[in-house]
Amino acid sequence: MQYNSISQVSPLFVRLRWVGSACLLSLILLNPATHRLFGSEKTSSLDSVQPKSIDDALDQENAVHGIVDPPEPAISDLAWIRRISLDLIGRIPSEEEIDEFLSWPAAERRERMIEKRMADERFTDRWTTFYADLLRLRSNSEGGSAAIAWVHRSLADNVPYDEICRQLISKNGKAGAVPEVGFILGDGADPMAMAGVTAQVFLGVRVACAQCHDHPFDVWKRKDFYELAAFYGKTRRVENRFTRTIYTTESTESLVMWPPEGVGKLEDRKPMTPRFPFEMLPEDHPSVVRLNARRTALAEEKAALLVKQESGPSPDESLDDLLADADEKVVRQTRKGTRDAALEAVRSEVRQIGASGGRSLNSDWRNELAEQITSPRNRYFSRCFVNRVWCELIGRGFVNPLDDFSNSNPPSHPQTLDYLADEFVASGYDLRTLVRSIVSSNVYQRGHSVSADEAKRANLEIAFLALPARRMNSEALYDSIVTAGHLFHVKHAAGQNMKTIWAEAQIPKQPSGGGVLASRSLTGNGGQTMNGAMAAGEDAPDQSPAYNLEGAIELDFAKILEQSQATGEETVMVDQMSAMSKEEIEAERMRMKAAENSYSYVERFTRQQLDDNPSFTSSFRMASPADPEHFLRVFGQPERVQLGETRDHTPSMRQSLMLLNGRLTHEAARVGELEAAYVLLTGPKPNPKKAVELAYLEILTRTPTAAETDEGVEMIKASQNRLDAMADLRWVLLNCNEFRFVP
Amino acid sequence: MNPCQGYRTSRRSMLGATGATLFGLQLCDLLAHAGETRDTKAEHVIFFWNGGGMSHIDTWDPKPGRPTGGDFKPISTSVPGLQISEIFPQLAQQMHHCALVRSIAGTQADHGQGTYNLQTSYQQTPNIVHPGFGSVVVHEKQKIGDLPAFVSISGRAPRASYLGQTCEAYFVGAPGEKDPYLAFPEGITNVRGNQRLEVLTRFNTRFSDKAPGESAASTKTAIDDAVTLMRSPALEAFELDKVPTTMLNRYGDNTFGRGVLLAKQLVETGVRFVQVNRGGFDTHTANFPAMRAHGDVMDPALACLVEDLAASGLLQKTLIVMLSEFGRTPDVNEDAGRDHWSEVFSCFVAGGGISGGNVIGSSDEDGYSPKDNPVKVADLHATFCRSLGIDPNKEVMTPLQRPMKLVDHGSPVPDLFA
Repeated sequence: MQYNSISQVSPLFVRLRWVGSACLLSLILLNPATHRLFGSEKTSSLDSVQPKSIDDALDQENAVHGIVDPPEPAISDLAWIRRISLDLIGRIPSEEEIDEFLSWPAAERRERMIEKRMADERFTDRWTTFYADLLRLRSNSEGGSAAIAWVHRSLADNVPYDEICRQLISKNGKAGAVPEVGFILGDGADPMAMAGVTAQVFLGVRVACAQCHDHPFDVWKRKDFYELAAFYGKTRRVENRFTRTIYTTESTESLVMWPPEGVGKLEDRKPMTPRFPFEMLPEDHPSVVRLNARRTALAEEKAALLVKQESGPSPDESLDDLLADADEKVVRQTRKGTRDAALEAVRSEVRQIGASGGRSLNSDWRNELAEQITSPRNRYFSRCFVNRVWCELIGRGFVNPLDDFSNSNPPSHPQTLDYLADEFVASGYDLRTLVRSIVSSNVYQRGHSVSADEAKRANLEIAFLALPARRMNSEALYDSIVTAGHLFHVKHAAGQNMKTIWAEAQIPKQPSGGGVLASRSLTGNGGQTMNGAMAAGEDAPDQSPAYNLEGAIELDFAKILEQSQATGEETVMVDQMSAMSKEEIEAERMRMKAAENSYSYVERFTRQQLDDNPSFTSSFRMASPADPEHFLRVFGQPERVQLGETRDHTPSMRQSLMLLNGRLTHEAARVGELEAAYVLLTGPKPNPKKAVELAYLEILTRTPTAAETDEGVEMIKASQNRLDAMADLRWVLLNCNEFRFVP
Repeated sequence: MNPCQGYRTSRRSMLGATGATLFGLQLCDLLAHAGETRDTKAEHVIFFWNGGGMSHIDTWDPKPGRPTGGDFKPISTSVPGLQISEIFPQLAQQMHHCALVRSIAGTQADHGQGTYNLQTSYQQTPNIVHPGFGSVVVHEKQKIGDLPAFVSISGRAPRASYLGQTCEAYFVGAPGEKDPYLAFPEGITNVRGNQRLEVLTRFNTRFSDKAPGESAASTKTAIDDAVTLMRSPALEAFELDKVPTTMLNRYGDNTFGRGVLLAKQLVETGVRFVQVNRGGFDTHTANFPAMRAHGDVMDPALACLVEDLAASGLLQKTLIVMLSEFGRTPDVNEDAGRDHWSEVFSCFVAGGGISGGNVIGSSDEDGYSPKDNPVKVADLHATFCRSLGIDPNKEVMTPLQRPMKLVDHGSPVPDLFA
């Protein structure tokens, strides 16, 4: 699939960009107290030749640091295809993919595979998870699942990173219907929280401590924090008392006051004026110039296109669709002539929003903030993101921890970091270009150091001459087991897995605000379950809903967006209310309240005969984060609540129990009649050696050593049941440490 | 005399005089350490979580003869002068082993925020997650034997967050239900499963030789721990099959009774912290029949637990706590229910070296607000820590390198302990 970013850029976006730049310039001119980090911009880069590539930049810097060690040699084609597949599409390669890859000419196969992987739909799935981690998007928070679905669509459409961020920072509207607001609703649209989040997530700067006191070992003052928080000061999270609709809107009053509570006199406290406390690059910096040239070209192209199309509809993206039809609703209700007090309250509420916000409820201050954050002149923004992507692919950042850019924590290779950042800016903040440039570099091809000398190993890894060993992310591990075990499709003949089970059916009660659509497929997910996942504090203690620790319920992202953007719901509800008496409205309100406090599904258990022919779906498309005891969480999927939380890659007993005894590895190991291994083991001409080689290729993406082949063949020959023996071998290969590490 | 007595009343003046803390220790602690002789610290905790917000008036803090008193009569207990609700007749006879705090001054009347506050001692804030009490305890108290240090029954315990994976609760669904992950998958015999493990060990040894570093080594430890647990005889403590029927009937053959029995078995086997979750206390409608039913289930199980642990001597080393996110409105609403009420509510405590029959604080005559000795939620947690010999002011680092106290600035409640 090819993506064309031009077609995605709305005219409004182009218009806003230039207005934004003007605002930004004026703010900077009025703003002498911006912070300088890494010394002055000029001395931060070395006085050396402008690097031609990542490798060039890195070599130059390593040379300056006096590092003369040779790099680890490039890894083999097989190890490489495993690495690139895990990194770009979040699973190991299949046998067919390996064969195809090896059939291509050696000189071009890696480049071709990179393009193939980048065009894969799974690239979008896998990197949506990266974004969701970064932005702390949660399916179960207000508007969270729509926000994830929106990021997914944005990535599929190749929307630039800066544009995604601008929308997330500045949008107001109804949770779900305006998917972007899921981001600030994740922190309750709280200005103080959002100040910390904004700085840390987008800029990699930890200012959260400055909320309560000046930063103990950095330049951040409490006032900086309040000035940053002030951008969010007028934003409010509002919950409609009747419809339970949650949305964000702008108030005329700011909540962020200075001096802070408890400091100075109450009457001295005044609303804080927002100010962006980060240093900007000059307008004539080469990366800024290149980006502006690129944007001008894009804008002209777009304008030309528009002229051709004559006058299209003028989309006003800043409108919250709750309010878009607010006037209309009020008119409609009034015409019906109902004078019910409760209904009047709904009306005045709707009217009030309409009146205070007019036709545009987006936040001027947050628009301003979004412009500043995503400005090409703001190096924090580009540095922070490229550092994260680099770490995701290489296993170590230039700055570690990834969200701690500060004077006391300088980057290991400032020039390389800036080279990447500048190229990223000049590319129009294009994720795929950035990923392509990193995985095409020599650095990415390097192996791990196996030196027993720990200090030496660490030095090689810091200089990126060897890559650190890293574990697969939980979703990649899950999907890799499914891939290796041929479980994305059924592998057993029909009727081979008949079971009598107590099946669980989930019947949706009432579509909830967040709009998680779930359909539970029984096969593959109906096996081992544990009862009692019920969150403490819920009613009906003795009827715990069963849940599955290894199931993956695939979400239809497109459908989530479609449903949440359907505006009908709101209208219908208000219409219904106008026909109801006061008592009925109150009863309805109570009913909605009750529904909110209960599960959105009814659980039913029925006895069924079932062909339990297992098949699994991709874990990248599940509601996330998963339940706390789910496979994905056990293997380190973050909760996405805590600021600064990273994926926990430490092994645990729970993980081991899950792989040793879990259903996923068990089913992946079993040999099905529809698999090639079945024929190799039970066909007229059995070939155990080939079966062993196939198992190694499919599970570990490599050929076995002679000793390993003998060992495997011996296991098969010694066994009374060759299929069982193969299942044992596959189980071991899936469980062994080698499987879990990215080569 | 307890050296902390009088601390509360003169707190303000003392804060002024000393700057509140000296080297991070609360003044109260310094005084406590100076005069303290109690050496039997609790080693285990059984933590009952009553989700939904349990009515304080209908349980631990009856208000007889008051308009808010409700349907239940108070009954006398084994402690002269101490009365609790009639829904706990058996427990009443064990109150000489138990204590009550009747003056918790909560601040959160919302389920989510209240639960968070009561289980972590912290207020919920958007971008940090504080660990639950169980995680705090197992962070400070080493695991004993093969079993996990922290087990949560019939519901989830809060996450360990910045205290790390090893402080997470091991989760048991229904009490007595076998954890499928502790046995080889369906259709894999023990012989075959053990053979698989042998081959796996061989593979991993070869891999570790090729890949030095902590990563491979720590994975090996995790597998070893898992296999040790799978093969441990101590796993029997998770089973209820062998419990005699008479015993089961004493505790009550229901989810709660079985959960309490399981908690007892686990603590006897060395588990540090067992959380037993139960819901259904959000009695906005028909409060009284619901609370009567809760009493029928809770009373025998709690009474038997206290009685049996006291008889075996384990009660002295086991702190039993029953908490809820808040109490319920003294006023009975038009649906004969009670709504959320956080201004004052109660906590049940037993064992762990408390002074039996003790009652800390009181609410006003109608149960609206604390009358004397208001206890903050963090104070309550600090008190539990004290029972366990844990320093509530110890600091641990969050991912942001922000130091956080184990308990959110709490001071132990004087007088609760002997």
